[in-house]
Amino acid sequence: MVMSMKQASREKGRPLASSLFAAILYVVMFVIYSINAPSAITLGGITDLLNNTIVLAIASAGLTLIILAAELDLSSVGVIAVSNVLVATVSTKMPAGTIGTLLLVCLVGLLVGLTNGWLVAFLGLQSLACTLGTMIMCQGIALVILDAPGGEVAAFIMNRLTDTVFGMIPVAGLILAVVVLAWLLFRRTRLGIAIYAVGTDAVASHLTGIDVKGTKLRVFALAGVAYGLAGYLLSAQTGTGDPRVSNSFLLYVFAAVAIGGTSLGGGRGGVIGSVIGAGILTVMQKLLFAVGVADFYTNIFSGLIMVVAILFGNLSAILTLHQRMPLTRHGDRGYSAQ
Amino acid sequence: MEIAGTRLSNRPDMENTASPKVRFTVSALRPETITALLVLLATTLMMLIMKALNPTFGSLEQIAAILTTSIFLVVASYGQGLVILLGGIDLSIGVVMSIGGMIIAGLTNGSNQALVWAIPVTLLSCIAIGLVNGLGVAFLKVPPFIMTLAVATAAFGVALGLTAGSSQRTVAPALQQLMSARITGIPIPILLIGCSLIGGSLLQSRTAEGRKLYAIGSSVAAARIVGLPIEALTIGAYGMSGLCASVAGILLAGYSSGATLDMGDPYLMPSIAAVVIGGASVTGGKGNYLGTFAGAIFLSALSTIITVLSLSQGWRNIIQGGIIVVALTLQTKQWYLQKIANRPLTGQGSPNRALSQNSKV
Repeated sequence: MVMSMKQASREKGRPLASSLFAAILYVVMFVIYSINAPSAITLGGITDLLNNTIVLAIASAGLTLIILAAELDLSSVGVIAVSNVLVATVSTKMPAGTIGTLLLVCLVGLLVGLTNGWLVAFLGLQSLACTLGTMIMCQGIALVILDAPGGEVAAFIMNRLTDTVFGMIPVAGLILAVVVLAWLLFRRTRLGIAIYAVGTDAVASHLTGIDVKGTKLRVFALAGVAYGLAGYLLSAQTGTGDPRVSNSFLLYVFAAVAIGGTSLGGGRGGVIGSVIGAGILTVMQKLLFAVGVADFYTNIFSGLIMVVAILFGNLSAILTLHQRMPLTRHGDRGYSAQ
Repeated sequence: MEIAGTRLSNRPDMENTASPKVRFTVSALRPETITALLVLLATTLMMLIMKALNPTFGSLEQIAAILTTSIFLVVASYGQGLVILLGGIDLSIGVVMSIGGMIIAGLTNGSNQALVWAIPVTLLSCIAIGLVNGLGVAFLKVPPFIMTLAVATAAFGVALGLTAGSSQRTVAPALQQLMSARITGIPIPILLIGCSLIGGSLLQSRTAEGRKLYAIGSSVAAARIVGLPIEALTIGAYGMSGLCASVAGILLAGYSSGATLDMGDPYLMPSIAAVVIGGASVTGGKGNYLGTFAGAIFLSALSTIITVLSLSQGWRNIIQGGIIVVALTLQTKQWYLQKIANRPLTGQGSPNRALSQNSKV
């Protein structure tokens, strides 16, 4: 128990370092991008980039919470699809459409998240498999609500959320700033600390009196709300409803989390890294397009950049941790030294 | 607190690697086997309910068709099962299946003579993709989730560049016959399923290499102390996954007498679900091929049965997802009941669960 507490405190330094590497990578990519596409550093260009980033960023922020608690969640694309078709069908018909729809999609996300959390925490299902089930169900629900791409998103949502405020601050950037700020406050809360503890060692956390099941339930619920919000913002970008959100988006959500330095084994990392990871993936596509790379090369480079980004993260982990290796399942080097 | 020493001392995999005969007698009673049989029972039950609701359903022909179409998932999920046994995951299976189908269709182009060299070329190319996955995971320490995703994305890009996205010409007629012909009344694919079940189970559970995968999946640290060649076995498992996916791709190309670049995609998520429904743990070290096989048959039967129902795609998805969750719940409850006496304190669904479950067999 004592050991795992020490371990947890020692590991606090690591996500910072690896998100620093991700941030450096992001800056490098952005500079190359803006050299090739000078419009990138205008207000319009930055707003555009942030608009393209935000859906992935919010979804991966939600997933980060779950991965920190050592679980996995595939339901994000399902919730985003449901939320997207809901916005496209009801936002123009509801009174107070903007706020009403926002509350509605957050509620839907919350419900799906609570279902996932209950299945994982209280019934003991493996999260990867049972969220696959709820993902398929959500995709079905989206198809039932809207069986083909279409619908209409309220003009207010479409125009205001993709624009700038006071003519200088992109709304998407503002939302991202709020998310990052909320995370910085949240990680100091009881629940925020409990997530790291549960993700590092569930048994030890249980023994110290942390409500492991309750923590996991809350984490899934929070992530569900984030996915709902991501779907809402997606609707603002596309202005239409599409029940089929591609599965490749799901994989990008995971990639953003991993590139941001969050360990897929749980207990290490944070939301800021994931937001930067989402930024890297988005700017990567823009960069490849700006350089004029053919479509199929884009895929090859995407794969390459993902691996390079992870290697950066690994490098930083080695640099910050070279003197003491933890005695965990993943860090097995401690054993061989004995 | 789990200390390395206590974990090691009651870890059965080590002893069993040394004396496979002991494992043989024990394995008949393994909980995994019970899970697999329960899943098969559920599949049968599902078909019987369907029969009761719709008397025209459930002819022998239809069951043979369900089994025939399940071969792709049965074969592909074997590789996925091996990788998951190590605690990894292979997200490249869908793309590799498509690429396997594309290569075989492109190389044979309707000629049977070309099969002689086209099959080895296809298999080797796909194994190479798997090996790249394995190398990245074993030596670069890239998380399997990202490595296989990145390799799949890149491999898809190469395939897209080479084919310009067009669907390939007709596949060799011999492959099409293979998928439709019968020997003594039994369709060949069903015989192939039987062979793969026996061969796969033997390889995974009865050979030393297979048992070593269990050991690594249970604890990399312990496996390293014992001196197991972790890197080589990891690379081998991913290579095997590439091989299985390419075989599934070749069969799929033969079945649909052509290949497209996205034909393998619908098999990626089910291949993971099949492994987990079959009683494996995604954190590794647990599960066997009989379970994966049962999971694959279950999912294939489920999707076929649901297609028979005259429902909209949305409702079909809702039912399919719901049944997957229910199947998992039943399977987990069974584990839970067996475990409750031994380890009431174990955090459910946590990574440590896989560890504690392995300390009793």
